[in-house]
Amino acid sequence: MAFTEPVLTKRIPLDPSKRHAVWYDEYEATGGYAQLRRALEMTPADIIKTVTDSGLRGRGGAGFSAGQKWSFIPKEKKGPHYMAVNADESEPGTFKDRYLIDYDPHLMLEGIAISCIATQCDIAYIFIRGEYHREAKVLEKALQEAYAKGVFGQNGTFGSKHKIECYVHRGAGAYICGEETGLLEALEGKRGWPRNKPPFPAIAGAFAKPTVINNVETLCCVPPIMEKGPQWFKSMGTPSSPGPKLFGMSGHVNKPGVYEDELGITLDYAINKLAGGMKGGRYKGSICGGISMGVLGPNQLDIKLDFDDVRFRGGCLGLGTAGMIVMNEHTDMVRALRNCVRFYSHESCGQCTPCREGSAWMRKILDRIVDGLGRARDLEMLMELEKTMGIMPGTTICGLADGTAWATRTFINKYYEEFAARCPEDSQRTVPLTVIKRGNALPTTPMGSNTRV
Amino acid sequence: MAWIAEDRRQEQVTKGEPLLTEEMKSHLREKYFPRYPTKRAVLLPALHHVQHEYGWIPTQALQEIAEFLELAPAEVLDTASFYEEYWLKPKGKYLVQVCRSLSCEICDSRKLTDHVMKKYGIDVGETSADGRLTLVELECLGACGTAPVAGINDTLHEELTVEKLQQIIDGLPEDPHDYKDPTINFAEANGH
Ligand SMILES: Cc1cc2nc3c(=O)[nH]c(=O)nc-3n(C[C@H](O)[C@H](O)[C@H](O)COP(=O)(O)O)c2cc1C
Ligand code: SF4
Repeated sequence: MAFTEPVLTKRIPLDPSKRHAVWYDEYEATGGYAQLRRALEMTPADIIKTVTDSGLRGRGGAGFSAGQKWSFIPKEKKGPHYMAVNADESEPGTFKDRYLIDYDPHLMLEGIAISCIATQCDIAYIFIRGEYHREAKVLEKALQEAYAKGVFGQNGTFGSKHKIECYVHRGAGAYICGEETGLLEALEGKRGWPRNKPPFPAIAGAFAKPTVINNVETLCCVPPIMEKGPQWFKSMGTPSSPGPKLFGMSGHVNKPGVYEDELGITLDYAINKLAGGMKGGRYKGSICGGISMGVLGPNQLDIKLDFDDVRFRGGCLGLGTAGMIVMNEHTDMVRALRNCVRFYSHESCGQCTPCREGSAWMRKILDRIVDGLGRARDLEMLMELEKTMGIMPGTTICGLADGTAWATRTFINKYYEEFAARCPEDSQRTVPLTVIKRGNALPTTPMGSNTRV
Repeated sequence: MAWIAEDRRQEQVTKGEPLLTEEMKSHLREKYFPRYPTKRAVLLPALHHVQHEYGWIPTQALQEIAEFLELAPAEVLDTASFYEEYWLKPKGKYLVQVCRSLSCEICDSRKLTDHVMKKYGIDVGETSADGRLTLVELECLGACGTAPVAGINDTLHEELTVEKLQQIIDGLPEDPHDYKDPTINFAEANGH
């Protein structure tokens, strides 16, 4: 384990007042685009092998080996191949991709160009969420420079035979477009409804052609791997989760922000060393990688933040995006879970009944408990519902419902007393048919319907 | 809440001057058509373009986009109604978007919403009487490290307090097109 200097954030100073977007000239002067030039001399298979050997795992949530994913793309080209860059970062607690795009856009562009060469992609679409207006402008500007300097365009990358196009495609405010097939649907101009798999995107993705989908941070890891080699990359992190990682620290900590360190640091280290310790009270719990992954409880400060320990010892779904929301002792965990479940019931795309109806009912039940009308039955019902939804029980198309389930499961398991105290056994409470009050108001949909779910 | 159906049978569409002007069409044709293998893929950029121009997307514009992209109007509505960012009914000049997800909630984002509601006498989703502000609460805006945050039109404001938010609202210019993100300190690219 040896993380000695920043890798992904080497051009981004820790001091916020010194941060600025690194444009082409500065990027190239600090070693940028040298790896792309090297990649042009290599065969696609060699690039894929380098990335596979490094053990780089996807930083977008699922943690799938990036090199392996690239190797699924057919080697024999029968038509165009596409790349979709997932910059739809909408998972609550996650704000690392924004940081990379804001301050070092060319790092990602270089990563895109290299992976396009490795997978023989003709066009890369950067799918950026609609709310990232500023970041879309930064990217447009960086792309304009990159085109002018010959990174992209029909003249071939730096005069070579590889012709790559790269465009920004803006989303329009739907979390589900972060799911890879939902993203492809949105790219095709449809509603962002995730697709059933197979076929996997590597075979039939965007416009029914082979498509690579990677997260921004994953692609940003590619140029450093090309530069310093797989062995160097593996010297950081843990054997199963090598490499550096951005940790997004937020909530009740003294110095919230994005910090880079290696995978496998402990939660304690992340909170106390990186984020400057707890604010406003003692530690109570922490979302471990965006709310879909669940919560790490009060006695889990020693959990190692890598793709496996969080899962096997931490009892969460995984490391996810490593966006931590740290909560102090004054946080009401019932409200915290209500917030999470409201998110899912709001963002469910509506295709699968367990997800759409399940999350909506869970939200109603949690509203009721928060309002002081909880009954023991409610808690049972939450735990029963949670087991029925997700890819893991096999009832839904995509993983959004697993997020709902894991958030609910881990919150209730780890803070059972708190929930149970609000749902007394002998409760004679009758619940009014509609507990609708202003505090629960949802924003109206653009359609104008004010239906509360 | 992407899956709520709405009864639109009562809707009357009055046809006026084209909303999707020739100029807008040629912009879309030149910039976006070469980018995608299908015309339908230009739908999201086209909807963004119309909304940017008018602040919302009238039904007439949906029909014009359908014709322009050779789609059925129903296909355009199907897509447009799915995405929260597209407004299919008029909104105020300024859209105040307070983040309500977990990091912001535990950093008191509720106070921001409550303040705007009280001060302007509007509920979440409503527009102030003078048509200046529309208030919405959105899910995670991706700036958890600087919670609580709120977007006002295209600009994100971070580490907000009630006073700071009020100051920003008071300083908004008359014409929303004059309202620029102060952190964009570079010449904007207009296509490549
Ligand atoms: C509901 C849902 C939302 C997702 N949102 C995102 C997202 O916002 N950004 C992202 O990079 N990946 C997201 N993912 C993961 C993607 O599906 C996909 O695994 C990832 O983009 C692959 O890239 P990677 O291998 O580089 O991690 C989401 C997955 C699900 C199930
Ligand atoms: S699980 Fe939920 S979000 Fe995913 S496809 Fe089904 S309904 Fe849509």
